[in-house]
Amino acid sequence: MNTKRKGLSVISVLATMLTLTLTAGAMQVNAEESLQSGQKNKRPNFLLIVADDLGYSDLGSYGGEIKTPVLDDLAQQGMRYTNFYVSPTCSVSRSMLLSGTDNHVAGLGNMGELAAPNQVGNPGYEGVLNKRVASVAELLQDNGYHTYMVGKWHLGMKPDQIPHARGFERDFSTMVGGGSHFDDAWNIEWQIPKMPYTEDGRPVEELPKDFYSTKTYTDKTLQFIEEGRQDGKPFFAYMAYTAPHGPLHLPDDWLRRYKNRYDEGWDAIRQQRLSRMQELGIMDKDVNAADRLYFMPRSTALTPAVRVMQGRKMELYAGMVEYMDDQIGRVFDYLKEIGEYDNTVVIFISDNGAEGNDLRAMVAGQPGSFGFLHGMNNFAEDGHNSLGRKGTYAEYGPLWAQVSMAPFRIYKGWVSEGGIRSPLIVSGPGVQGAGEINKQAILNITDIAPTMLELAGIEHPASYKGREIVPIQGKSWKRMLSGNTESPRASDDWLGFELFGNRAIRQGDWKISWLYEPFGTEDWQLFNLAEDPGEQRNLSDKFPDKRKELIALWDEYVKTNGVIIGNRSPFEKARKALPDPVPEDDSYPPVRGLEALPYKKLIQIMSGNTEGK
Amino acid sequence: MKLRNKLTSQLGGISVAVIIMSFGSPAIAVDDGARTYWKQRDGTDVVSFQYLNLNMQATDSQQFDPAQFIYPNSDAEANIMLASWAHHMTLFNRASLFAVNVGGGSVGVDVDTSFIPSDLLPPDITPGSTFSQSASGYTDPSVQLDINLFGTSPLKSTVDLLNYEPTWTIDAAVMLALPVGEYDGNKLVNMGLNRWWGRLALPIKYHFGVFAPGYMSSFELTPSVWIFAENDDFLGQSLENDPLLQLEAHLTQDFTRTFFGSLDLLYRGGFQSEINGVEVGEKLDIGDLGFTLNFQASDNLYLRTTYSSNVFGDDKLNSSLIRLQLVYGWHRLTENSRKLTTGHH
Repeated sequence: MNTKRKGLSVISVLATMLTLTLTAGAMQVNAEESLQSGQKNKRPNFLLIVADDLGYSDLGSYGGEIKTPVLDDLAQQGMRYTNFYVSPTCSVSRSMLLSGTDNHVAGLGNMGELAAPNQVGNPGYEGVLNKRVASVAELLQDNGYHTYMVGKWHLGMKPDQIPHARGFERDFSTMVGGGSHFDDAWNIEWQIPKMPYTEDGRPVEELPKDFYSTKTYTDKTLQFIEEGRQDGKPFFAYMAYTAPHGPLHLPDDWLRRYKNRYDEGWDAIRQQRLSRMQELGIMDKDVNAADRLYFMPRSTALTPAVRVMQGRKMELYAGMVEYMDDQIGRVFDYLKEIGEYDNTVVIFISDNGAEGNDLRAMVAGQPGSFGFLHGMNNFAEDGHNSLGRKGTYAEYGPLWAQVSMAPFRIYKGWVSEGGIRSPLIVSGPGVQGAGEINKQAILNITDIAPTMLELAGIEHPASYKGREIVPIQGKSWKRMLSGNTESPRASDDWLGFELFGNRAIRQGDWKISWLYEPFGTEDWQLFNLAEDPGEQRNLSDKFPDKRKELIALWDEYVKTNGVIIGNRSPFEKARKALPDPVPEDDSYPPVRGLEALPYKKLIQIMSGNTEGK
Repeated sequence: MKLRNKLTSQLGGISVAVIIMSFGSPAIAVDDGARTYWKQRDGTDVVSFQYLNLNMQATDSQQFDPAQFIYPNSDAEANIMLASWAHHMTLFNRASLFAVNVGGGSVGVDVDTSFIPSDLLPPDITPGSTFSQSASGYTDPSVQLDINLFGTSPLKSTVDLLNYEPTWTIDAAVMLALPVGEYDGNKLVNMGLNRWWGRLALPIKYHFGVFAPGYMSSFELTPSVWIFAENDDFLGQSLENDPLLQLEAHLTQDFTRTFFGSLDLLYRGGFQSEINGVEVGEKLDIGDLGFTLNFQASDNLYLRTTYSSNVFGDDKLNSSLIRLQLVYGWHRLTENSRKLTTGHH
């Protein structure tokens, strides 16, 4: 009996092993088949959700304390990726997103608003999504997809440049980079005082009175899908939310959702995020985070009142993020209701790093300027309790931005990791590894267009509507999503970045970057991001050959993409524009918590009474 | 003998007018005034100086204010200056305020005695004649304590102040006046009341809209009961009164960050008088409507003006009030901050 049982046990084990092996193989095949069958039978829908200036660590599933249950749930259904790159600013990223090519090719070599004199008029610097590329929407539309867009376009506003002209059959979108989230529609730029909107290709004369960007964009998305679904065609919905881009605006009933949540200050919140990122596995246990920005004080050095005032801005930001999450939940609920959720590939990203620049000061200019006049008329409200309401212009500033980008360095606009690293969640049919985190793959925003095209079974053409178009540079994630490879890139593949004269190359764990002072040295610096994601240790002297190697790749990047370094840059005077350094004073005795040390305790400590510590 | 000075109590009402001012809410004269019970940070002090001009005309024999017959065909005018000091603090861990009020001025009355029974006239007045009388001096000083019961935490720090975004609030206020004002038991008109008196109030307010400068709106309702002790020297007689019931309401709205206005309503009823234990006259039934404009001239200084007139209730009485008020508030930290930023170091 025993022998028999033993024999049976051996057979059972062998059978189990065989079953597991076959199952594993079958799972891969099934994943492939799932994607293939999507093409043959019912092609997948695509829901591409882009947040505006969202930080890397803001989502709960990336370590943030902001309540994002819908996206956290999405992350549990799909995969999270930790090495996903975007451009340092929004329109630049969007050109890459929709074209699948480098921004210097697609027309956004620089932001149209900030192009340097020597860049203007050159190919790749049109400031709009140019005709050297076909947008992924155009290709999907031509291949039987409904194509919808809501939110920020920012890729041109002439009739042949707007969403409707670039492949979106229906849209409700704003043409510019940012402004009021309410119906007053004030643009942040005085040159175009009101934000132009289009709906289905036609200019919107007046926004509805109850307009709130995130809500209205969601409403429109649901409307478009509902009205188009009768013919059974798949859809591509591009939800380019303008949240949480400044000005930080919220509906009244959301204004105090995070009341006093951030009074403890940025250092504490950032540390909490880093801990959670480690717990979640987003970051390694020994993550080397970037130092606090040199010109910002530690939060315990601020009076409680100042912390409350600074915290209020972060409260608004967090509210906008949660509101967006809530609205995304509406879309998911609707897709489930109509039975399309399981056939929809959902991709969630941010367009660039969190915003730490003083955009309001930048656009408002000095007294006497038109920008100032525009600001006076439309964004002058600034009372503590007014912030977040119509007419106010709140931004949360550089250190909250650094919190949002924990553990990285700097923020939007710069090619440091704090400017170009984004969260990425992908979920849907054929996406394997539910709830897992991929830390190996180095991914780029240009990969999204070829991924969608391949999942839809569409070849990227060499020409489009009679004009030659450039090939896609991004790499499809199809095999990665189905679990057949860790990364779409080989180990010697690399990514290049350039904006406003700041430049960077990433290859494997290595990165070189050239940044304007004071954040950079205006020379190439070398970092090992696996060990130093905060880009704190310049290894140029230690690994000169690697540095040289990557500089050569930079040269190749310039040549391949027609990069022209601008003779002017918004950051060329950054050293003067930023505040003076704050002394890193850990004073004795240490200030703990939120309050200064009581005098009695001080005396105890000075007397050597360690219990007083 | 009945008390005949129809102004005394009204002036008493003026002195009752406890000044509970905030930086943005200077207060009152006859009524408490709009935004009187808005909170300020602990340690905030406010002083107020106000000039009041009261005019009254009576067309019939009507009682209109505490314990008075109003003489038919009489006119009265009072000019009063009130000074107040208020201090915001925390008491029993509640946002609270303590105030002291002093006042003084003059009052004059012209009376046609043709239709007045002789037993209601002072001994030296001949029936059928017209006489004038006046008085000047201090009104009864008063102290008041206000404590929040519901709706806000104490404002102990700047952080508390930053977090102060009230919606519904309910306070309890108690006032006590000291009978030390100018009083002559043989005169018709006096500045003081010659008796202890006080008030219990329940200030209720609702803030709607945005609680931020330039956007603040409120509806304020203050029911209160005035209680008067006996005046044992009312032309040699004893005067007692039922409680006076008062309802005060304001609808306030910011026009700009430094300018707000208010629609004001004040109703008073009850207050049956008794002279030597015998009811005299009728109960009060007076309703005033008015408006207030308040301008913030600087971080510390507020200017306010009010006009009100009785427009409902007893139709045999006409009265109007004009008030000009100057309010100056300060807090030690604000002043020190100014020293740091503007001083020479």
